[in-house]
Amino acid sequence: MWRTLSLGLIVIASSAVAQVPGKSEVQAVTLANGMRVIVWPDHDIPNVALYNWVRVGSRNEVPGITGLAHFFEHMMFNGTSTRAPGEFDRTLEAHGARNNAYTSADVTVYQDWFPSGALETIFELEADRLHNLSFDPDVIESERGVVYSERRLSVDDSQFGRLLELVQATAYVAHPYGIPTIGWPSDIESWTLDDLKSFYKTYYAPNNCTLILVGNLDPDRTIALAKKYFEAIPSQAPPAPIRTKEPPQQGERRVSLVADAQTPLLQFAYHGMAGSDPRLPALELLARILTDGDASRLHRALVEDGKVAISVNSHVEAGFDPGLVWFLLALPAGTDPHVAEGVFDAELERLARDGVTQTELDRARNQALADFWRTLTTIDGKAQMLGTYEVLRGGYERLFEAPAAYERVTREDVQTLARELLRRTNRTVGVLGPSSHKLVAEEG
Amino acid sequence: MRIHLSVAAPLVVLFSALLAQSSFALESVKTPPFERIELENGVVLLLIQRHDVPLIDFDARLRGGARLDPPGRFGVANLLAGLLEKGAGQRDALSFAQTLASVGGRIATSASVEAISISGSFLARDRVLMIELLADMLQHPHLDEGELDKLRSRYIEFIRAAKDSDLATLTPIYGAAALFGAHPYGNPVFGSERSLASIVVEDVRSYYTQHVGADRLILSIVGDFDAQEMKRLVSRAFAGWRRARTPLVDVVPPTPLEQRRVLLVDAPESVQSYFWLGNVGVSQADPRRAALDVVNTLFGGRFTSMLNTELRVRTGLSYGAGSRFERRAQPGYWAFSSFTRTETTIEAIDLALATLERLHTEGVDLTTLESAKKYLLGQFPLGLETGAQWAAQLATLELYGLSPRYVDDYTAAVDSVELGDARKVIAEVFPKADRLLLVVIGQASALREPLKKYGPVQELRLSDPVWSPDH
Repeated sequence: MWRTLSLGLIVIASSAVAQVPGKSEVQAVTLANGMRVIVWPDHDIPNVALYNWVRVGSRNEVPGITGLAHFFEHMMFNGTSTRAPGEFDRTLEAHGARNNAYTSADVTVYQDWFPSGALETIFELEADRLHNLSFDPDVIESERGVVYSERRLSVDDSQFGRLLELVQATAYVAHPYGIPTIGWPSDIESWTLDDLKSFYKTYYAPNNCTLILVGNLDPDRTIALAKKYFEAIPSQAPPAPIRTKEPPQQGERRVSLVADAQTPLLQFAYHGMAGSDPRLPALELLARILTDGDASRLHRALVEDGKVAISVNSHVEAGFDPGLVWFLLALPAGTDPHVAEGVFDAELERLARDGVTQTELDRARNQALADFWRTLTTIDGKAQMLGTYEVLRGGYERLFEAPAAYERVTREDVQTLARELLRRTNRTVGVLGPSSHKLVAEEG
Repeated sequence: MRIHLSVAAPLVVLFSALLAQSSFALESVKTPPFERIELENGVVLLLIQRHDVPLIDFDARLRGGARLDPPGRFGVANLLAGLLEKGAGQRDALSFAQTLASVGGRIATSASVEAISISGSFLARDRVLMIELLADMLQHPHLDEGELDKLRSRYIEFIRAAKDSDLATLTPIYGAAALFGAHPYGNPVFGSERSLASIVVEDVRSYYTQHVGADRLILSIVGDFDAQEMKRLVSRAFAGWRRARTPLVDVVPPTPLEQRRVLLVDAPESVQSYFWLGNVGVSQADPRRAALDVVNTLFGGRFTSMLNTELRVRTGLSYGAGSRFERRAQPGYWAFSSFTRTETTIEAIDLALATLERLHTEGVDLTTLESAKKYLLGQFPLGLETGAQWAAQLATLELYGLSPRYVDDYTAAVDSVELGDARKVIAEVFPKADRLLLVVIGQASALREPLKKYGPVQELRLSDPVWSPDH
């Protein structure tokens, strides 16, 4: 509710520890079949955002079926025993709804945005595909082409995507986080009907799903309807846990990609932490100090002062298992990547040695807090964030403690993390450029 | 989708900021009460108080934009936009960035063909600082030569980086340049590698003096503030500002293409072809807007659209296909686009053209029409949910001289579209398949010959530092 939300922000404005309102309005239940349903009413607009979080991603794949979780995401729109291929989308859109889905290493998330009057129709459609999905061989072949086209768009025709895939595959020697979520080309060409059937049976059970609804809803009625449509779907044995743990990295790994690119790319991937790790807020602030905005350290050093990069971004992965902390640099045409790498290394060494100033930490904290509140201004932002905390960060309740968690981070926390994680021996370095460049340097 | 799509390179963000302007308004939601105040020097101030969240969002638009770029110096307006936050008032670039970050504020600058835009988001408690920073950017930018050199070099590299990693975003840039030609709507907003290299600080300063001033400013502010106080703050900060030196002249309507032409951009390493087909469309104020939106939705504006059904769902040729209107003061373009692997390029273009022909020959059925209306109306409120969205919507209305009824009457207008209206706009506005500009980025060695069947072919290389053979 907006009225209560504003109270929380006023608390922020007076710079006390922030209270995020809404916790008391959120209703969460676990249905008899193990499905989690969480409802957060927000009556600002007459719409609803529904996110169905399924706990399966490329992390659950093995060689031969890489990319299958993502392909499966596509197949979830392609027909059930009661509805022909295409009917799901046609019915949904005819009720004013839009849908999408995404797959990551950890989860597959199905999203619907719709006028609240369409709730029951949406539930019926979602329950149907969760229970009665069917696979038409012709549609499988056609959808294979679609996914291959998606791969060509985001990887094969993108120097950025190609290098990212290579660095990720190199950063993990044991854990399936090294698998590209889109899938290796030979696997895209080879998935079978049986692969899909077995995947559906293993992972698409109600006890492996968390349904998040935010918007113009009455929680009691919504939960009653969720029971009506989803509770009859039988639960299944939980999927086998992922046993493999990535062994600690003992030395820097380097990969190079010779490409006919105008702008060289330089990417660093450090092993980081899981989403449930209590140090995650400190890591997020550390990343902001380094790359958020034109005043951030790496932007100053690499882009403004050194002029050896045209952009530097960071990305923190925090899923079920320890993910990567990425630093992604694009370099000016014709420049030597080693120069940019030298500037980057010097900044990280300075950080580990001298730590950060209180001013920098306060700045990053304010950026994080303001962005947190901005995310909560849309039903979509709330649904994404509520699901992230519930599924990947130890429970939705933690969302309401997020500002307090940022408040608690100290300069020492940040420096300790920088020393522990941002070490050369804990990273993989990827360099992409034309062959005229010497891409691989000596080990640092 | 997967994660690395969301970790997009900044160039991607820049281009999509320029290209992804949809001006949907709201469903049963009506324009909230707002105040419109015109200062004596011409500044137009638009205010909506929303006390639900203690955030304030603003959208400042300077009428003019890239259409006023000097001949051959494409990108001046966009460079000026970027330079506004690289030092202003008492703060140099670093100090400005530090001040902004210290309060968790966000400011984004950009240019479009018809405006320079600055948008911002601040916590309500920082409203005084917010107005100070904005007033400094607009009235006291340093326009420092060293900062310009850095920004210009980076912008050139952003284009190169986009050519390396994001071909799909480039087709509309080539398309608009080729379709509108020497008309100001053909100016590539971001500039080209060649035009940017020729820009010097005097170009930017001259643009600022001639085309930026109080009479060009529309300032829309939405959020948690007291209107009386905000009026005082804005009046105090802007009342003394001068007007722009050069009068703003209207744009003449562009001329639609009467036959089919092809621009082939050779990307020898690419494994897919990225294609875009377009012609001159409609203006912002076009009274047929609702019927046009309904037809565009069912043709290429949603997942089950005719175009996506053919190119993705039925054939698996592509990850996606869609169409859209780019509306301006005068008619902008209507275009549809997709991509497919090199070997199936002609098959996919043929299918896209046949689908457009089918729209003309078979028209639409009642079920599809009603579904498209429902879809448009169901999604409408999601585009006007936040203060930032309302700030942008109000500024757009003012920029194009539209009344709030443009928003408020939209639901009823869409709801009342009938088959006859759809038929009428298909005949009047949607181009025939033989009157289109076709842009293809792909392997020229494989495509050069077969593309000739579509019309005369002009060629560029992806590495050429221009968006048009005529630049």
